[in-house]
Amino acid sequence: MAMDDDEERRRRFEETARGLVEPLRRFLARRTDAATADDVLADTLLVCWRRADQIPAEALPWAYGVARNCLANAERGERRQRRVAAKMATLSPPEVVPDPADDPGDEAVTAALAQLRPAEADLLRLWAWEQLGPGEIAVVLGITPNAASIRLHRARQHLAAKLRKIDRPAGHEESREGRRP
Amino acid sequence: MTDEHELDRDDDLRARLRAADPAASLGPARPDGVARLLEVTMSHDTDTLVPERQTGTHGRNPLTWLVAAAAVLVIAGVGIWAVTGPSEDGTAPPVAESSDGAEDADQVVITQLRAPAESSGRCMVPTAEVLGQQQVAFAGTVDEITDGTVVLTPTTYYAGDEADRVEVAQPDASMTDLIGAVDFQVGASYLVSATGGQVTACGFSGPATPALEQLYADAFAG
Repeated sequence: MAMDDDEERRRRFEETARGLVEPLRRFLARRTDAATADDVLADTLLVCWRRADQIPAEALPWAYGVARNCLANAERGERRQRRVAAKMATLSPPEVVPDPADDPGDEAVTAALAQLRPAEADLLRLWAWEQLGPGEIAVVLGITPNAASIRLHRARQHLAAKLRKIDRPAGHEESREGRRP
Repeated sequence: MTDEHELDRDDDLRARLRAADPAASLGPARPDGVARLLEVTMSHDTDTLVPERQTGTHGRNPLTWLVAAAAVLVIAGVGIWAVTGPSEDGTAPPVAESSDGAEDADQVVITQLRAPAESSGRCMVPTAEVLGQQQVAFAGTVDEITDGTVVLTPTTYYAGDEADRVEVAQPDASMTDLIGAVDFQVGASYLVSATGGQVTACGFSGPATPALEQLYADAFAG
């Protein structure tokens, strides 16, 4: 009996988790270096496994929320680990991992995001990169859908304003008729 | 002003943001890698998976977590108190100088633990399942033993926050006579686990033998 429950639980988790791995991997790749992303992905899946009974029907936003917390934990521990790593550096020099922020892309967007408050930039990333709606963003951030909707609206306005400033420096009002590449 | 309207349209804004997605060039994960990751994940015990636990661990979880939470505070407090270590006057502890130029590079992180207290509890057979629940687990070498304090330099961390140095208070030499307590010797390597700031004895901590290393590897797999 217990064995059957165990099997059933594994089967259900595996089915759900298979669909989560790829989006979670991307979620983390967007927000941290490759090595940390791998670690945090494993942490996130473990938390999901331990809380398998609480995974809602729409699992992904919930799992993003778990990943977000795991990443925050990992980054809190990072400073301490760096000290330990410094001791081992002579044995195995750490490989240089490219910072996702260095990724070539629309530099104006990257710059505009960097100028926003971190919480607003977070919201916009969830909206555009993870392609979540306000209701799903609310689940990730643990806020009400209404609050998510209002904050998202405001964040979009702020981003648009920043972009306008960057795209069109003073005195070049007519210079941006066409599309950006 | 035309572009203002253009940017105010959510679709365009979203499209521009998407173009800056750092994961756009990320290829899909290899299916065998995903399968292995899930396998490793499900090899861990889950708290709700086995409602009828073996005697010994039954009913102990809530208290364990409470004690662990308290211990985290104690360790953090002690750590902060202890990091005001000596400066470079020749009496520096046996910790390599950090060379990363960080603002707190001269701070040494120390975890302090206690030897297991005398208790009437009986030893259970060490299992990876129980070991995996310990808050702190590491492999380390004993640098010195002074005034009943064993100083270890961790080499590998399996669980818990990493520290540069771990100190285990051994209040009394006779403690090592207790069943299952660890007999620390200078220069030797040990595998040590602890919960609630207290080293777990009963075979969960001890000299680094291949068998114990295997147990640690199993407990903290992945």
